[in-house]
Amino acid sequence: MPGPLLERQFLEKLERLTIHWRKSFNGLVGGHNSSRFAGGGQEFLDHRHFHSGDDLRAVNWRAYLRLEKMFLKMFQVEPRVPVRLLIDTSESMNSEEGFKFTYARQLAAALCYVGLVRLDTITVRPFSARLGEGMHCGGGRHRFSPVMDYLSNLETAGRTDYFEVVRQFISTHPQRGLLIIVSDFLDDTGCERPLQYLADFGHELLLVQVWSEEDRTPPWLGDLDLVDAETDSRLRLQFDEAARASYTSAFDKYAAGLEQLAHRNGGRYVGVSTGMAIEDIIFGSLVRSRVIA
Amino acid sequence: MYFLNLSLVQFLALFGAISIPTVLLYLLGRSRRKQVVATLRFWVAAQQPVVVERRKRIQQPLSLILQLVGMLLLLLAIAQLRLGTPLAAPRDHVMILDTSAWMAAGIGSATRRVTLMDEARNKARAYLKAVPASDRLMLVRADALATPATSFESDRPKLERAIAQSVPGATALNLDQALAFAQREQALSPYRAGEIVYIGPGRVAAEADSPIATAPKNLRILPVTDSVENYGLRKIAVRRSGSDPDLWDIYASVRNYGTAPKAVTLALTFGGAPAGTRKLAVPPGSDREVTFEYRTRAAGLLEATLLPHDSFPDDDHAVLELPQQPNLNVTVYSDEPDLLRPTITAIPRVHATFRPVTEYRAGTNTGLVILDRFRPPTPPAGNAIWIEPPTETSPVPVRAKLENVSFDHWCSDNALCTGLRTKDLHLASTYVFEAAPDDIRIGQVADGPVIVARAGKYKTVVFGFQPALSDLRYELATPLLFGNILRWMAPELFRLSAAAASSAGMVTMELDADIRPEDVRVLQQDGTSLPFTTHGHTLRFFSGTPGTVRVQAADRETVYSLTLPELWEAKWEVPAGVKQGLPGFRSDTAFSRDLWELLALLGGLGLLAEWLLFGRAEGRMRRLRARLSVLSPRVRKAS
Repeated sequence: MPGPLLERQFLEKLERLTIHWRKSFNGLVGGHNSSRFAGGGQEFLDHRHFHSGDDLRAVNWRAYLRLEKMFLKMFQVEPRVPVRLLIDTSESMNSEEGFKFTYARQLAAALCYVGLVRLDTITVRPFSARLGEGMHCGGGRHRFSPVMDYLSNLETAGRTDYFEVVRQFISTHPQRGLLIIVSDFLDDTGCERPLQYLADFGHELLLVQVWSEEDRTPPWLGDLDLVDAETDSRLRLQFDEAARASYTSAFDKYAAGLEQLAHRNGGRYVGVSTGMAIEDIIFGSLVRSRVIA
Repeated sequence: MYFLNLSLVQFLALFGAISIPTVLLYLLGRSRRKQVVATLRFWVAAQQPVVVERRKRIQQPLSLILQLVGMLLLLLAIAQLRLGTPLAAPRDHVMILDTSAWMAAGIGSATRRVTLMDEARNKARAYLKAVPASDRLMLVRADALATPATSFESDRPKLERAIAQSVPGATALNLDQALAFAQREQALSPYRAGEIVYIGPGRVAAEADSPIATAPKNLRILPVTDSVENYGLRKIAVRRSGSDPDLWDIYASVRNYGTAPKAVTLALTFGGAPAGTRKLAVPPGSDREVTFEYRTRAAGLLEATLLPHDSFPDDDHAVLELPQQPNLNVTVYSDEPDLLRPTITAIPRVHATFRPVTEYRAGTNTGLVILDRFRPPTPPAGNAIWIEPPTETSPVPVRAKLENVSFDHWCSDNALCTGLRTKDLHLASTYVFEAAPDDIRIGQVADGPVIVARAGKYKTVVFGFQPALSDLRYELATPLLFGNILRWMAPELFRLSAAAASSAGMVTMELDADIRPEDVRVLQQDGTSLPFTTHGHTLRFFSGTPGTVRVQAADRETVYSLTLPELWEAKWEVPAGVKQGLPGFRSDTAFSRDLWELLALLGGLGLLAEWLLFGRAEGRMRRLRARLSVLSPRVRKAS
């Protein structure tokens, strides 16, 4: 029987962290990130003209007495923003005898725990060709155990289809929020356009690209008979050091494209190699990119 | 050019065994590998794939050739390929230097007298100078045992020192064993076997079964000429006379090793005083035995000397240590001493003192105390015999006092009851004792033991009745019982001592028929046990060095004074065809060169080059080549 995804000592270290997002979202009070949208907060934000139907309690009567015009006071709110976490369960995540997938699950579990500690509401949904049935959790750290069980029981299967996944996601989650995608983003049809759709719809993207060393720098040389893990397509070629350098360069270029897409849409991108320790990723790359702090 | 370690067939077989897996691994390493990858998009994008349709030719043949050549060179290094002829290769010689006792014999004139050992050392040094400097040599000192003085050495000063430190031993030469040892050492050596050189006169312990057949082909003899005109003591033995314990029977054996009859005088002295003289005429090649009798109760050294001395004086003189006659002091406290006097005084080597009970003093007596029917104020601190002790002071608790009882039986499983057969005894009055489980019940009536022996720090025997006042007084069992008791309490008193002087080496001794092997102990001078074997009633042990060895068997002890040298029995006839004299070795060893260092270096460099060119550093080399290719047009342009 395999052990837990994350050790208790590591979870204790995560308790001081908080998930942050950059965009302003509408929502009810109760969150921990300020929003440019007005709401029922305590801190003054702005004035606007009174319209019929507005709450009379928010009218600035002093301004009305002086100017004989009704202005409405608006207050800043820290809304509760839904956090969604999509985890890739396609066959391409099965590299290094499944270690890449385990690594991605550990990363997802750590982010879930950080959110739960700060009373965020998190929806975890696996995906490959379709969006899988997810798990909705919230309410504190003591609700983490079901999440861990859920992630532990996930298995890889099928090929990735970002277009279909994005379509289903947008149709099932109309409320904007933070969208964390933990994946290798290896889709033969390309994942840039579907991700752009998500950004255009108003979600804030946090792309966590997980790769194993053999994904980025294949260790094999010579005559290779390659089989695509998702499509079973075959390719025979001779692979040498020069080809390896070209391969790595193409991979890095693809990762840079993803990063550019995320930044262009106000989101963030974190590239993660499975050769690094989870702790180094959480307290290193993710903290530096202000995903969590 | 030749192989030192392997034959050509062995080498080829080994190379084939190594090269086949190498080629297979090479082909396997360059075979097409099926690999499952996460995506193909980067593989396609990285470069146009070059699909190998058929692989009819070996990929990277230089890599395979470099690997095979590298391993070939390493294998040649292991095989110790040499340049030159096999005859010129360094060899391992074994020099067997005779260090038997006979090597102490003198030769030459009286003014310039040297021993055979000196002569052998000179020949050994001469052989050492004749051996090429590249050859190694092992020095083996051979007497009854073959003892290596050095390993295979090319250090000449060290060998010189070992030769100089070789001295005659105490045993005769066992040449077969030495030759077998030399052959075994040469077989185990990785170098080529050289000569086995024997330096000595060839006087061996016994006639070998087949010396010619066992002589190795590479044997060389450096003979040492000796003179066999020698006579000496073979053995001297002394033992106490069976009739008179103060009388020693002395036996001596003299052998004439020479070719002419000899008239010699054997003189014995004890403690410096003459003990006997006998003139002997000893025929050539035979022994003469002579016996003496000498009366003494004192301990001392008995020396035997053959006169006149000859060229080998070591066997003309022998010394034996005569042990002291042990005595036992017995003090009898009795108001009726005449009851026990006949019994006690009849035992030899017992000095009995009879005193009235009023003169009893505890702790003042050494030896044995006999307490006759009285209660001592303090018990004696030593071995004691209590006769009919008072009930309250008896060392063994009294169970009851009986009158007019019949003696029932003697014990049967103890040495204390040896020979006791008397029956139908009537005891007018006796105590019956409450014996402990470990006590020995010597004599018993129907109600319990009446004579009890108790072992411990002090040995004690308790009589429930006075034997001299009972029917036992007239029985043979009475002196026999007291004799058994004294033998149990003081066994050294009855120990039969003998001494013998003989030669070191294998000693054979005949044991008495009643001696059990588990009762035999063979002790050296320092008290440590010496290994021995028993076959039937024959005991054998080996002592390679002169000294004293004690053989204890039950109540008998024989002291062997192994001071006489063990001399030869026969002359080893050198087989025909065996080389003799100093050799004339070839001096062309300069043409024999070791190549293994060079071969190992080249093999290692070949494998390193293969690794650099085709192994893990291939990428680095490609980059280096790319840089060079960038530089080379500039160089050409500059030129």
